[in-house]
Amino acid sequence: MFDINTAIGHWPFRRIPNQSAAELRRHLESHGITGAAAAHTAGLFYKNCHDANLELAEAIAAHDDFFVGVATLNPCYAAWERDLEACVKGLGFRALRMVPQYHDYSLSDAPALALVRAAAALDIPVLIPGRVVDTRQRHWLDVERMQSLQDILAVCRAVPAARIVVTELPVTAGALSTPAGQPVCGNLYVETSRQVSCYGQVMAKVVRLLGADHVLFGSGAPFKEVEPSLLKVYHADLDAEARCRVCGSAARALLGLS
Amino acid sequence: MKTRIPESVNCIDIHNHVSAGADGRLDRARAEALLDGSARLGIQRLCVSLPLTHEQPTPDEVRRANDVVLEAMAFSDRFIGFCFLNPGYAREAVAEMERCIRQGGMRGAKLYHQYFICDPAQTAVMEAAADMGVPVLMHAGKVMDNTTRRLQPRLSHAGHFVRACRMFPRTTLIQGHIGGGGDWEWNLRELEVRPGSYLDISGSVVDAGIVARTVATLGADHVLFATDGVLEEGVGKLFAAGLSDADLAKVCQHNAERILGLRRA
Repeated sequence: MFDINTAIGHWPFRRIPNQSAAELRRHLESHGITGAAAAHTAGLFYKNCHDANLELAEAIAAHDDFFVGVATLNPCYAAWERDLEACVKGLGFRALRMVPQYHDYSLSDAPALALVRAAAALDIPVLIPGRVVDTRQRHWLDVERMQSLQDILAVCRAVPAARIVVTELPVTAGALSTPAGQPVCGNLYVETSRQVSCYGQVMAKVVRLLGADHVLFGSGAPFKEVEPSLLKVYHADLDAEARCRVCGSAARALLGLS
Repeated sequence: MKTRIPESVNCIDIHNHVSAGADGRLDRARAEALLDGSARLGIQRLCVSLPLTHEQPTPDEVRRANDVVLEAMAFSDRFIGFCFLNPGYAREAVAEMERCIRQGGMRGAKLYHQYFICDPAQTAVMEAAADMGVPVLMHAGKVMDNTTRRLQPRLSHAGHFVRACRMFPRTTLIQGHIGGGGDWEWNLRELEVRPGSYLDISGSVVDAGIVARTVATLGADHVLFATDGVLEEGVGKLFAAGLSDADLAKVCQHNAERILGLRRA
């Protein structure tokens, strides 16, 4: 299994276990997960968030057989173009995370779309979380804003060459379908940790609509427990091949891992 | 990997809901889907209600909502009915409890956020629940975002429950969904005094450690398994807590059976 949605590093608003790369790896492996894409939580908070990417590279260096680095960049901060190239070509990261709610911009802003285009040119997917934690429990210094599916779909349409992975956001097949029953965007990927599964087989319907290569197992660890996401995939009405893709082969292909 | 609650545990989901279709009657397709999804996860019985979330539901509206729950109970004996009430209409609320609980076989009362749990307006409902021997489950949370605060200005948190336990000592109170959104750590710190109320684990929040810390704070005797419709979240965070078999049985079955069995014949 491959987990597309994990993070390392300190979260300032609540004590969270398994924040280090070694602890998180042990934790994920204890659930049968054999690889993971990880971003650094400090990237949400540092003004110069590329420093968090450097910390991430250092933290996962001893675990390059398990973790894949996910860059966190702010398109409104200086030198993001050079930082993106350094993350991909220098640090070996294979994805980009954009967090407009923490970096104070809109996905429709020109710099944001420029960053998405640059990621597409470097052939890496862009992860966009609907939220990092439930905003109803937010610390008074934390953000309240979330990313809407509509905003994310607008990015997909604006940059069709980009591969956009929406994380931490529940979706339905109905919300992702054209009136003719086709996917609204062919370049959208969905992470599983907040999808509904057993109750109405909602996630299985999303898999049937988008294809199993577009639905990626993610846990949200270490913020969240891993077990709910495992249950969602286990109880989804999928055939063996689709389940295999959702559980990891689709994410590995997306990230260019063999 | 654990994939379902063991069959040896007669698991009860203390906090769930059914809904009405466009015709105002039970949405049978959704009820069927809920039963099917729950069965996959080893949830055998479900306490269901149909709360109305606007400011002041009228007695007629309340009756229509509870009729849907009565229909659900007839649809499947896995559904255990909870009677939604608006305490603002005290006399009508008690009459509705008589209709739904004593005559209709429901096993609990359900409150939403029309009044705080410790508001004196709750007195008639609380006393009637104690007399009928049924628990009162309330939508609750310590929300920190401005949107929810604006929409639910009288949403009860654990501090309100601590006060309500002193005001209504004969009534069994269940604080809804520790994972329903809100500062759950704040709620647990308030409940360290162990006021005697129960807390259900439902809600979409599956933060690392949430159920383990809930059980450590209240003791397994006062924690109730529930999903509030988010099924994998409820079962998954329960598994993550790594409870002993004995505590798992308390949380999933024995506590609920004890509370629901309070009803007099």
